Amino acid sequence: MSTREILSLQFGHYSNFVGAHFWNTQELSFDYTGTVKTEINHDILYREGQTLNSEVTYTPRLLLADVKGALKTLPESGGLPDESEFEQSNIQWEAVEKIEEPTPHKNKYLKDIDSEHPLDVEAKEYNFEDNVQTWTDFLYPRLHSRSVNIVKEYQQGSDKESFDIYNSGKSVWKSDFGDNFSDNIRKYVEECDSMQGFQVNFDCIDGFAGLALGCIEHLADEYTKPILVYPIIPSYFPDTNPSNQSERDTSNLKDSTRLVNMALSIQEMSDHASLFVPMCTGEKGWRKPGNPRLFEHLNYNPQLYYHSSAILAAAIDTLGQKYRLKSNIYTLSDLCADMTGYGRKMAAASLRIPFAMNESQYLIEHLNETTKPIYTSITPSCKIATDKIFQLVTVRGVPESHLKAPLKEAKEQMNIPAYRCNNVKEMFELYFQANNFLSATNVTVCEKPLELKTPFPKIFSNNLNKYGFVDNNNQSKRVETCPVIAGHHNGNFLADMIEKLHRDVSRIKFAKLHKFREEGLEAAEFSESLDKLSEFKDNYEDDFEL
Amino acid sequence: MAAISLLNPKAEFARAAQALAVNISAAKGIQDVMRTNLGPKGTMKMLVSGAGDIKITKDGNVLLHEMQIQHPTASLIARASTAQDDATGDGTTSTVLLIGELLKQADIYISEGLHPRILTEGFDVAKNKAMEVLESIKIPVDVKRENLLDVARTSLKTKVHPSLADLLTDACVDAVLAVRTPGKPADLHMVELMEMQHKTATETTLIKGIVMDHGARHPDMPKRVENAYILTCNVSLEYEKTEVNSGFFYKSAEDREKLIAAEREFIDQRVKKIIALKKKLCDGTDKNFVVINQKGIDPLSLDAFAKEGIVGLRRAKRRNMERLALACGGIAMNTVDDLSEECLGYAGLVYEHVLGEEKYTFVENCKNPQSVTILIKGPNKHTLLQIKDAVRDGLRAINNAIEDKCVIPGAGAFELKANMELLKYKDTVKGKARLGIQAYAEALLVIPKTLAVNSGYDAQDTIVKLQEESRLSPDPIGLDLSTGEAIKPMDLGIIDNYIVKKQILNSCSVIASNLLLVDEIMRAGMSSLKG
Ligand SMILES: Nc1ncnc2c1ncn2[C@@H]1O[C@H](COP(=O)(O)OP(=O)(O)O)[C@@H](O)[C@H]1O
Ligand SMILES: [Mg+2]
Repeated sequence: MSTREILSLQFGHYSNFVGAHFWNTQELSFDYTGTVKTEINHDILYREGQTLNSEVTYTPRLLLADVKGALKTLPESGGLPDESEFEQSNIQWEAVEKIEEPTPHKNKYLKDIDSEHPLDVEAKEYNFEDNVQTWTDFLYPRLHSRSVNIVKEYQQGSDKESFDIYNSGKSVWKSDFGDNFSDNIRKYVEECDSMQGFQVNFDCIDGFAGLALGCIEHLADEYTKPILVYPIIPSYFPDTNPSNQSERDTSNLKDSTRLVNMALSIQEMSDHASLFVPMCTGEKGWRKPGNPRLFEHLNYNPQLYYHSSAILAAAIDTLGQKYRLKSNIYTLSDLCADMTGYGRKMAAASLRIPFAMNESQYLIEHLNETTKPIYTSITPSCKIATDKIFQLVTVRGVPESHLKAPLKEAKEQMNIPAYRCNNVKEMFELYFQANNFLSATNVTVCEKPLELKTPFPKIFSNNLNKYGFVDNNNQSKRVETCPVIAGHHNGNFLADMIEKLHRDVSRIKFAKLHKFREEGLEAAEFSESLDKLSEFKDNYEDDFEL
Repeated sequence: MAAISLLNPKAEFARAAQALAVNISAAKGIQDVMRTNLGPKGTMKMLVSGAGDIKITKDGNVLLHEMQIQHPTASLIARASTAQDDATGDGTTSTVLLIGELLKQADIYISEGLHPRILTEGFDVAKNKAMEVLESIKIPVDVKRENLLDVARTSLKTKVHPSLADLLTDACVDAVLAVRTPGKPADLHMVELMEMQHKTATETTLIKGIVMDHGARHPDMPKRVENAYILTCNVSLEYEKTEVNSGFFYKSAEDREKLIAAEREFIDQRVKKIIALKKKLCDGTDKNFVVINQKGIDPLSLDAFAKEGIVGLRRAKRRNMERLALACGGIAMNTVDDLSEECLGYAGLVYEHVLGEEKYTFVENCKNPQSVTILIKGPNKHTLLQIKDAVRDGLRAINNAIEDKCVIPGAGAFELKANMELLKYKDTVKGKARLGIQAYAEALLVIPKTLAVNSGYDAQDTIVKLQEESRLSPDPIGLDLSTGEAIKPMDLGIIDNYIVKKQILNSCSVIASNLLLVDEIMRAGMSSLKG
């Protein structure tokens, strides 16, 4: 069967950080030699096109939204060379006044990838940690001219014009912006012969939540395709660590605002999305992102979006392998059906990056010795239960050669029941069978590890070798690839998260939410929304038997 | 009051006098930015973003959206101007200028000790009087092509070069006349504006039919058909796999195929029904068949259509369903169960045009098209956008005139007349309120003055000349921008919309009064007006 295309949508600044890493990962793994056997069908996420000058382009099938000032060096037209725009335009008018913004500084990395003779960026140090101000500062791909959509009414980093209210986002969707955006969606969909669905990532804590939900509702109305949504909470906010009373008050108010945006969007997603999976690298997500989730062999700074967004991008990339395989048996609609029984449209996600086995160790030993859970939740305020769960787990980059010792050298390994497993997939299946009581696990194994090419942040510990295995005598400076595990999980454990969300947001007095009121939210509407959220939780309450 | 909602609760409050000074200087600031835009001789602005995006505009509203306006007073004025645009599609620059000028005039009196309240009361009286003047000089018009041409041309010449404006004028007027049902203003949504980026061509034409930005997705479908039945529908002709829980319960490849075949059967039935109708109506005749679907059409369905010589387009715009029905006749169908000839529309010609990766489909030669397309060709995005904005304004100007059933002489004629009448009226009013009337009358002159300055004439000399002429002439007098002399605008076809002027008068005095009466204003951000 032909390619089953996906249209990707990104709303909001942090989601665009995640997106930048995600698309970098895709594009930097392209094989232009045609010699490498790839498991992934890139045409699912990418489209082939042509410029007016008949040059062939290959760009993400993507629409993104951000506010004014977020693009810096990236033109709104996406950055593909387009001669016509550079031609001195011939304006027939007597008096023309040219008003030019200063050209923003291009960092070294952007200069290097733009240069005629691409330098070996892998060999260079770019110090992204200090240089990245916005996601375009480390974006490798160039985008289609439709892709970038700017909300002009709001300004990046401005307190006065900040886009922070759910209902403002809804209004923007109802304006010309939404008309243009939905027309762009239509154009992409029209091109597809056999589309599998939509994937939406959005910042669920500000105005982009309302904008995204306006869009998701439109998708549900207009297209009969599955909609997979990742509502995302950034790892950090500028007000996260207040130092005096007045800053604490400000931060408090902002936390309330963010929480309300989140609650409203989660409630509406339960109506319009096919499956949604909240994500945050912070443990709690609200009312502050909380402590950073810890991953062994990984040191990242949650205050840097550049760091934390790379982790979520790695998760999303790994979770998506299953429906982007060349074999294309499994699609988004299967994923959504598998994960959402009993109206449980919200699921949790987990990640293990790197899945670092000892270099000299076999998978069987590693799994046998490990006592800690194999993955970490990246869904905020959510502890993934071990029992009574449905889960789809993807394991990538664990070589079959590391499965178990050959018979002759097997020794004690033979006493482990898992020794009878013939491949990585069987062994993980057995592992989950043993560890998750009354549960159903489906394991997908991909050969290819995650590639960590520049600009992926260098956040791995020193004792990892080039391939992300633990090697204490390691000489290599740089981890180039690493095995990763990621999963989607559902079960009644999610009731706790929804209940906590409902409880926390119910504590906020509607009277305090003047900005929401000014933007058109009414008290009755707000309380109805909370009631519906609580009803949604009921879907998770009934005990079910497998 | 609206102004209050812009205040940051944490900001310090400035004293009333200071607040007023701040408001006035902000209003002047934004007025300075916009002043050069006014009229057909105003400056075109070319905005170049840091990353190289270009935007070309002469339109006040567009400019306001592009600028970073951070000062609350300025953004209040900007919102008034945007509201003006939403309501009427025109008059945005005038709005900003007039608010600024009202505050400037007020400043003179307030600095002499007059209470703002007295001024605003005067403004109110003056506004009502100005409305009377507006009523007295309005000129009734019939919905006739030649009347509407003048309205459209005046508007378009303030946005694009005169030679282009002439072309657009005809296209706009004919478009409105085509989609309009007598006795009612036109539904402008039924005029589609289609942009086509073309390396060499710059032209704008009216297509008496529909142009769509997509084409048939099958290589064997005809690229051009004549004498065609048009079926518009909103029916899925694409196989969409229902969920099968394949992750947990493995299905063999055969099971899967069987399932797909069963599902596919549904879609095939629909396709067959369409083909049956085509066969019945077209086979053995010179007629052709085109399917335009709002939902998807998958490759198998396209294949079936192509074999029958049917042209199939998928994912048409929702609004094009309605437009197609108006252009070609027929009904947009939600099912293919009871298809008959009556459901179909007709077009004399349907053909495809390819430009790079973009495809366009023209549905033309319709019998009595009540929906049409203005096709805009240009070499780059910013030119296309500039023309599109101008066309939108032109269409609205025409529609306003139809709705108003009257027009107003332009070129500053109304403002001069109102100024004169207000100065007469002032003498009949007792007390200090007359000062407000005086200020208001003076402020109105900002329009003819700015028109003069933007054409290179001295503001005072011109006004004196025009005022003298006005006193002698029974007809309204305006400014000829090419000579600096007085003219009768109606003779030259310089015509403004009644509703635009009315809305300007209403909103400007309200906003100016709000700004004068505001007692406290945020101090923060006082100097942050950028432009
Ligand atoms: N040919 C003309 N000669 C003189 N004045 C004109 C002419 N065309 C338009 N005007 C005047 O220009 C003003 C409108 O200018 P414009 O740039 O469209 O600004 P606005 O945004 O306020 O509509 C009106 O006062 C109108 O009467
Ligand atoms: Mg105008």
